[in-house]
Amino acid sequence: MRLEILMSAAFFFGGSCLTGYALRRFLKLKQEGFLFSIVTGAMFWWALMEVILVPMTMALASFTGFTVLYTALLLVCMAAGCFCRKEILEDIRQAAASVRAYMTLGHLMALALIFWQLYFIHHHMYLEWDDTYYVNLANEAVQSDRIYWIYPETGSIVDFDKRYVLSLWPIFYAWMSKLTGVLPTVMAHTIFPWLIIPLAGMVYELIGRRLFPGDRQLQGMFLAMAALLHLFMSGEHTAGITFLSLTPWVGKGVLAGVLIPVLFYWILCTAEKEQRGLWVMLGITCLGGCLLSSMGIMLIPLFVGTAVCLVSIHKRSPGYLLRGAAACLPCVLLGIYYIYLSH
Amino acid sequence: MQEFFDIAITDFTDTFEGAFLFPVLLTAALFILWQEKDLTRKLLLGALPLVFLLLYWCPLTGILFMKILGENVYWRILWLLLLAVTIPYGGCLLLKKFTGIRRQGMFLLCMAGLIVCGKELLSQEWFEPSTNVYKLPQYVIEVGELLPDHVHGIVSNRLLPYIRMYNPTITLEYGRNALAYNGIEETDSHEQMLYLEAQKKEMDLGVLIPLAEEVQVDFFVFSNNRTYIGEWEDYGYEHYGSTDEFDIFFRKGYEAAEEGAE
Repeated sequence: MRLEILMSAAFFFGGSCLTGYALRRFLKLKQEGFLFSIVTGAMFWWALMEVILVPMTMALASFTGFTVLYTALLLVCMAAGCFCRKEILEDIRQAAASVRAYMTLGHLMALALIFWQLYFIHHHMYLEWDDTYYVNLANEAVQSDRIYWIYPETGSIVDFDKRYVLSLWPIFYAWMSKLTGVLPTVMAHTIFPWLIIPLAGMVYELIGRRLFPGDRQLQGMFLAMAALLHLFMSGEHTAGITFLSLTPWVGKGVLAGVLIPVLFYWILCTAEKEQRGLWVMLGITCLGGCLLSSMGIMLIPLFVGTAVCLVSIHKRSPGYLLRGAAACLPCVLLGIYYIYLSH
Repeated sequence: MQEFFDIAITDFTDTFEGAFLFPVLLTAALFILWQEKDLTRKLLLGALPLVFLLLYWCPLTGILFMKILGENVYWRILWLLLLAVTIPYGGCLLLKKFTGIRRQGMFLLCMAGLIVCGKELLSQEWFEPSTNVYKLPQYVIEVGELLPDHVHGIVSNRLLPYIRMYNPTITLEYGRNALAYNGIEETDSHEQMLYLEAQKKEMDLGVLIPLAEEVQVDFFVFSNNRTYIGEWEDYGYEHYGSTDEFDIFFRKGYEAAEEGAE
């Protein structure tokens, strides 16, 4: 299983990194390092998947058809990323030069905490009741070659459950399973924690860098506290970011643990410096969030809308508010479509 | 209005009970509002969580969101609080006031404080050691290894959520939604009658099997502490295999039919 985990992680992080570089060049986003490219690329992967998957699901397309199209488009994006050699080399040089600067107490503790989290999750299991729906949705896609025609819990053919039809996150790990030849159950439970938990760590590192530019020590301490909070939470077992440690393969968990912090990062960036590319990234992330959970379609506009509203009042800038509203447009459109489907 | 507050209080308590992270969040947000000089950061890191708390507790917005999101999932607004951003930022603002070894010491104190105020997540309370790569209970793997592909059946409630995660070619006559039928005493629904019969400690095969045959059930997997009125063989079924906890029964000739189909 180690080989499968390594291959999946190399593909996910390597592929999203290359995609991120291509996107950065297209959006004219300046040098921000590898982590920025990975997070940007991952958001784009999810947004692209939502754009392709919803119409293909509605058109009753086959899962193989989806896999071929999605993989081909991602390969084009990755190939485009390969042409960003100058930026990649520059980031390699910067990373190599600053390795020592990142050897702070905070960073070392954060790394230790994240590895402990991964080690523990790898050797333990958490029995999620809803997996019988979500994981089997992925299993059915691979097994029957149909996207969501089949009721995942029993395997019988039924009409779509409209609550989930716009947010088929399990198809993402079904797609990864198809590429690697691993059963989606194994992909979700055993491999995905190694992708999603480090991705969450990268997001908090990016937020820390943005909040404490130039102070690596505080960046590390911020990251360490954020990582610790994922290990010591409160309340019931499925409250908020507890998801990230318990069920990192569940769309709701990725939404709460990764995507909403990414939205926060983009809002922080746009509040400090308005740039077209950053707004586009906010819009792409909003769209990617719709893939993760139908809850995302509703919670994302609430989060972005409230945050952007506060900043625009402070800036006295209606333009800022309008651009924020435009970034939420994918969620609003899908929300309207959801209402249309369910009535 | 009373109903709104009942739901809001219950969900809020469920989300924050058993630890002191909510007071820590409030303290961090207020500390940011007090100490942060940059107004944008003050708003995004200090005020924003308080605005979401206000939206959650205000009956006007609360009732509106309950209608939009649904009463059962209203509590998910609390996901927007971003504890893992606000609390560390508040902590780092405090650490900024120190330098050198004092900062390191204060940092360790903050980490210790978070451990004391939080509740350990990676514990045996919620996790159990995994014994297989599927991360499913071992008894599911044992049954799954015995069952052939592409069969239609009825399984014990303990296997219901998991068996298709091991082998998705298996189809089930009813899923976990059938658990809602528990407690029903009289019904005309075929699925409910079948489910209720399969829950009995002593199952009447004269009732169970005709109901199952109507929906082409090939196999049954029941806990081995069940007893039966009648003999499986008399109804055209036979014992297929057993694990430590379950017995499997198959329709006679099923394998032959499969081979014929091949």
